Parts: sequence; C-alpha cells; structure tokens
Amino acid sequence: MIELKGLVKQFGDLIAVDGIDLVVPKGEFFAVLGPNAAGKTTTIKMMVGLIKPTHGSAVVAGYDIQQNPLKARERLAYVPDFPFLYEKLTPLEFMRFTGQLFKIDPDRVRTEGEQLAKRFHLETFLHKPIEGLSHGTRQRVAIASALLHDPEVFVIDEPMVGLDPQHARIVKDILKERSQEGMTVFLSTHQLSVAEEMADRIGIIHQGKLIAMGTSEELRRQSGQDGALEKSFLSLTTESESTANFS
Amino acid sequence: MDAKDTHPEPHRERSAFALLAGVHLKQNWRRLEGVLLQSKLLSATVLLFIVGYCWLSFALFYRAMRFVGAFPGLGDLLVERMIFILFAFLFALLLISNLVISYSNLFRNRETNFLHCLPISPNAIFQWKFLESTVVASWAFLFLIAPLLVAYGLVEEVDWTFYPVTVFMVLMFVILPAIAGAWSAIGLARYMDRRFFQYTTLGLGVLALVALAFWLKPDVVTDDMLETRVMLVLDRLLKNTQFSQFAFLPSYWLASGVISWSEGATSATGFFMLVMLSYGLFWGRFTTVMAGSPLYEAASAVQSRGPVVSRWKWVQWLNRNKGNRTKAWTPRFLERFFGLLFWMPQDHRAVLVKDVRVFWRDTSQWGQSLLLFGLLAAYIVNLKNFSSKLNNPFWIHLISYMNLGACSLNLATLTTRFVFPQFSLEGKRLWIVGMAPIGLKKVIGIKYTLACLISMSITGILIFMSCHMLNMPWGQISYFTFVIAVMALTLNGLAMGLGVIYPNFKEDNPSKIVSGFGGTFCLVLSFLYIVGSIAILAIGSPWREQSVPWVVMLGWGSFMALSLGLGLIPYRIGIKRLRHMEI
Repeated sequence: MIELKGLVKQFGDLIAVDGIDLVVPKGEFFAVLGPNAAGKTTTIKMMVGLIKPTHGSAVVAGYDIQQNPLKARERLAYVPDFPFLYEKLTPLEFMRFTGQLFKIDPDRVRTEGEQLAKRFHLETFLHKPIEGLSHGTRQRVAIASALLHDPEVFVIDEPMVGLDPQHARIVKDILKERSQEGMTVFLSTHQLSVAEEMADRIGIIHQGKLIAMGTSEELRRQSGQDGALEKSFLSLTTESESTANFS
Repeated sequence: MDAKDTHPEPHRERSAFALLAGVHLKQNWRRLEGVLLQSKLLSATVLLFIVGYCWLSFALFYRAMRFVGAFPGLGDLLVERMIFILFAFLFALLLISNLVISYSNLFRNRETNFLHCLPISPNAIFQWKFLESTVVASWAFLFLIAPLLVAYGLVEEVDWTFYPVTVFMVLMFVILPAIAGAWSAIGLARYMDRRFFQYTTLGLGVLALVALAFWLKPDVVTDDMLETRVMLVLDRLLKNTQFSQFAFLPSYWLASGVISWSEGATSATGFFMLVMLSYGLFWGRFTTVMAGSPLYEAASAVQSRGPVVSRWKWVQWLNRNKGNRTKAWTPRFLERFFGLLFWMPQDHRAVLVKDVRVFWRDTSQWGQSLLLFGLLAAYIVNLKNFSSKLNNPFWIHLISYMNLGACSLNLATLTTRFVFPQFSLEGKRLWIVGMAPIGLKKVIGIKYTLACLISMSITGILIFMSCHMLNMPWGQISYFTFVIAVMALTLNGLAMGLGVIYPNFKEDNPSKIVSGFGGTFCLVLSFLYIVGSIAILAIGSPWREQSVPWVVMLGWGSFMALSLGLGLIPYRIGIKRLRHMEI
C-alpha cells in the first residue's frame, strides 16, 4: 500500500506539491490525472525516493521511503516515462541483471522472465541489443523487468507512450491482473480513457494539490458534469484555478 | 511505520558493486567489438594515433630533458624543478577534471537516477560511480605522463625497478584528486545551482586574470647578470615556481618519490609512498563509507531543481519583481547585443543568439571548457619563464614557433570538441531549424562564422600576448596573428565540414559524438595540418638567418594552399551532402 502524509515539495519560492494526503490500499489500481506541471511527477519522485519532501512523508509497502529506503525499494517498482536501459545489453541480460539486483533466485528469474517475455511478446527480441529496439519495445522491456521481482507497489508514469494498441492492451491487462492479485498500482497519465478504464479510483492533482478523488462516477458527481470524464476533469481543474485566482 | 517483513528472503548473490562492474565491462567490451567490426579504418587510425603520440611525446620529453640536463652544474636542478612544476599543474588539472566528471556522473546521469530507485544503498551507488569517474578523469593523465616517466628513467639511467614503483605511486596519487573532486562535486551539487555556479566561476575567472596580469610582469635580466651571477638569476627565475615544492601538495609527494628512487634514495621514496598510501587509505575508506548519505541529499537537491539561493528572501523578492515585469517579452542582453549587427537578417541573428545561449546554459559543455581554459592558463603562466630580455634570434625564433604550435593545438582541441558535433546536435532539432526558411546551408554558415569569431578571438589574444612577452617587433606580431587567424578559419572549416560528412543523430552527448570515427578523423587531420603548417612556415620563415626569398614565397604559398584546401574541401563536400541528406 501507499500512504502519503502531508507531502509538500518546495522549489525555491515555488510550491510544486502542496500538502498531499493519500492512502492507496493494497491491491488498488489508482490513477492520477492532472494538467502539465500539476505536480504529478514530483509526487511520484518523492514517493519512490528520488527527491526528499520538504515536509511530510511517503510510506510504501509499509516502509517510510526516507527512513527505510532499501526495504521500501525491495517491494517497489518504478517505470518512468522514458526508462533508462543499458543500450549494449540484450533484454534477457537486462532482466537477469535486474533479477540479480533484487537478489532473486536465478531459477525464479528464468521462469518469471520467460513468462513475462511471452506475455509482452518479447521472445524474438530477447537476444537483440536494446540499442536497436523501438521505443515501444523498450517500454515493454522496462515494464517486464520491473515486474520481475513481483513488486507489492508498482508506480508507472505514462505507460502507454509509444505503445501500439495491441501492446497497450497487453500492458493494461497485465497491470490489472496483478492489481487483482494484490499489487498496488499507482499510474500517472494524461490519457483520461486509460484512467477511466483501468483505475479503481482516480485522483486529480492541480497546482500541487489533490483537488478531487474517487471513482469516475464520484468525480462526475463532484464536478456536476455528466458524460465523458473529460468534462469532469476540465470542470474540476478550471474551477480550482478560478478559486486559486480569486483567493 | 514499519510493516512486518513478509517479503520472501532475498537470494544472496553478487554485491551490487560487482553486478554493476560486470554489466559495464560487458557494455564496454561490446562497444569495442562494435567499433572493431564496423570500422577497421577507425581502429587503425586510433591505434596509429596512440602509437604516434607516445613516440612523439617520448622523443620530445627525452630530448628536452637531455638538453636541460646538460646545462653545466645546474642541469639536474632544472630537470627536477620541471618535474615538480609539471606534476603540480597536472594535479590541478586532475582536480578540475575529477570535479567536472564526478558532477556529471553523479548528478547528470540517467543511470544514477535509475539506480537510486533500486534497492541499492547510496554508498554502493557512490562506490561504483566514484570508480567510474576516477577512471574517466585520470586516463588522460596516465596517457600523458607515461612517455614522460619513461624518458626520465632513460635520461637518469635507472634500473628496471623504477618503472613498477612509479606505476604504483602514480596509482596511489590519482586517488587523491579523485576523492577531492568527488567531495567537491557533492558539495557543489548540494549548495549551488547552475546559474550560481556559472557566476561564481566567472567571478573566479576574472580574479584569476587579474592575478595572472600581476604574475606576468616580466623580470628584468641583463646580459651582464647572466654572465656573472647565474645562480642569482636562476633563483629569481625559479622563485615563482616554488609553489610546486609545497610539502603538503600530493604532486610534491609523487615527484619527490619518483626523483628519490631515480637517485637511489629508496627510503625517501618509501616515505613518500607511505604518505600517499596513508592519505589514500584514510580518505578512500572515509569517502566510500560516508559519501552515500550526502550523495543522496545532493541528488535530491539537483532533482528538485530549485536553486538554493532562491530560499534567500531578497532573491525571492527579486524573482517576484521579475515575474511582475511587463517587459518579460522585451529583448534581453544577447538579443540586443546581436541586434547591433543590423546588416544581418533577423533569422541569422536568432540562430546566433540560440547557439550562444545553449552553450552558456549547458554546464557540461562549460565543464569541458574549464579544462581547456585551465590548460591555456597554465600555458600563459609558463610564458613568464621565457624572459622578455632574450635577445638571441635563434631562441626567439624557436619560441615563437612553439607558441604558434601550442596555440594551434589548443585551437584544434576546441574545434574538434565544440565545432565538430554542432551539425549532429542540430539534426535532432531538424523539425524546427531544418524546416525553417533559413535552410540548413545557412545555419551551417552561421555556426561556422560564430565558431571562427570566438576561436580567432581566443587564440588571437593568446598569440598576441605571447609575441608581446617575447618583445617581438610589430611586423612579426602581425605575421603570427595573421597565421593563427588563417589556421582558425581552416580548422573550423575542417571540423564543420567533417561534422556534416560524418553526422551522428543518435547521440545527445557531444563528447560521445566526438569520440566516433568522424571526430577522431578530424582530430588526426587537424594535428597533421598543424605539424605540416608549422614545419612549412618555420622552413620558409623570413626571419631565419640567410633566408632565401623564393623559399619564403614557396613556404608561404604552400601554407596558404594547404589551409585553403583543408578548410574549404571538407566544408564544400559537407554542404553538397546536405542536399541529398536523409535524416
């Protein structure tokens, strides 16, 4: 599970994240939406321990990421929008390397790796250098490697970037399955349809604040807008902006 | 809040450090294999260049040491002092190099960010990155001093034990600037943002220039003094180099150890080895155990991007005022400055402003420049040792051509490092620059002009200063300044042309673009051009004794033809290639 308590991040005189309180229970698929520069990626960076919060704390899988970073990271997987991969390695070597970093038994790495490679249609690329793979294939390699240690919490930023519809479907299915098996998923996206389709709950971050949260139905009710989620999103973010300007 | 540990017991295997070392070895081996398979010409060129460099530098060091060592009664003292000075300067350069490389490796590196998200302790991340930075920052130093130490060993006629002992001492020595560089990088990242760093560097640079101006005041040494009071003159000339014998400088320990062993004073060498070993072990252990936590703090600060100074109240006030200004869209200093070039079309000026801004804001480029300017500064400081009262025409002649060689080699480094990758980097932004009505051909032309103006200013000032220090007449000063200007035009044309002929659109990092075939080829051609030109000009020099007019004319004509050919042909081929280029 994920627990964010009064999370604040200040860059000089700019408050990028302004007191976010959030609990994502075990096995929940949580999607976070927000306009550009809303504070989504900063929140994620604090959650995975890449940056320190100015105030507040982030607890991942029961461990405070600042107090017990290694324990938390053993249970966490993070896939950024442009993940880093070793260009001269093959996907198989990269997965084996990831398995060794997470100290997984080599037999388990092999069986899990084979399964993941099959699910993500990576078998034909397993022995080819990563430098020659397309962006979509690299993205699949990164997601498959991140799932290898069977994380309790999976944080992913814009997972569908560069994926064709077929592979986007595969990624969605696997994440949903894992979530139903107990993995907590925290997904950040601009694609409202992905959030609506996948998430158990959706949070909207705007100007560093969590301005709305709930199922897509609840968000519609909060915004007073029927129909597509887009309308609710636009209504909520515009309303929040005008309130901020007024105050 | 700590949860009950229900996670499966991790499988114990290799340490994170060993895993990272293994992955990197594999990556680098494949890179090498790729280069060997893809381009035999590149491999042969690089090999030839390495062998040629080692041979040439060995020969130069050997002859120089023999020559200086033969000075009656004082030869050994002078050689010794040369070793101390050289190691002191190399130590300073190693410090800068370690600082710059550690900074980019620890804080501007995607792999480091990736590793911070994995269950690896910050200490393990630091240990790996420290080793990597040390190797990257120190290989050039090892490459530079290897021929020097071999030459020194041969001149001093040492036995074989000198070489392994020296290797051991050098390895212990390089650890020390690596540790200092890593801590400075962490401190810098923690407490300074890019702009603060740039302004501080600029401020320090101005201070250094003022100090250099004072330092460069020539010593007056009369012929009478040279004949009657040699020791006094020598004392005066050497007093400015006494800093290299400061007992707490690691370069002093290394130089003393090397010299002592060559003289058979093995216990003295043992002492200096133990000094280096104790410092290396203590600070090495301290750093590899303690740097993890500050590394994480600093990485978080860098990732946060918020400048530390913006926490200060007055900066916040200033920023607020800046934001409120209605003049936000009015032209800034650079636009106004380039606006003075009223005859130049607006789009040309826009490319110029963009190029200058990108260079200024890319601190990694700055880091490389710092190293180059460090070399230039070391060179200028050394000019003082050539007394302005030298009146022997042979020496003036020799030194003036050596100055030209040093300046043009610096110029070749600048053009290969900064001008060659320009087109490859622009290719990435082709959607905007290439599609604009200005056209790529003109963009290349503007970049060439800008590069020429900047490099001509730097080397022009340098050559002017060095000639002035030698009290050369205005005719000769103009001659050398004109020669360096022609060389700047040629070397920039060569770098720009080859950059278009051998582009690399996959890389974002200019230093990686330069390390490919085109960059290496450019460096080798530039080097050959410099050696050829200086030889031609020296043979056909009008100031040689018994110079023959037709030899002077022939030399001058050959130099101009060589410069024109090497500068113009690759540039023209590059421009022609542009028409059919598919990116």
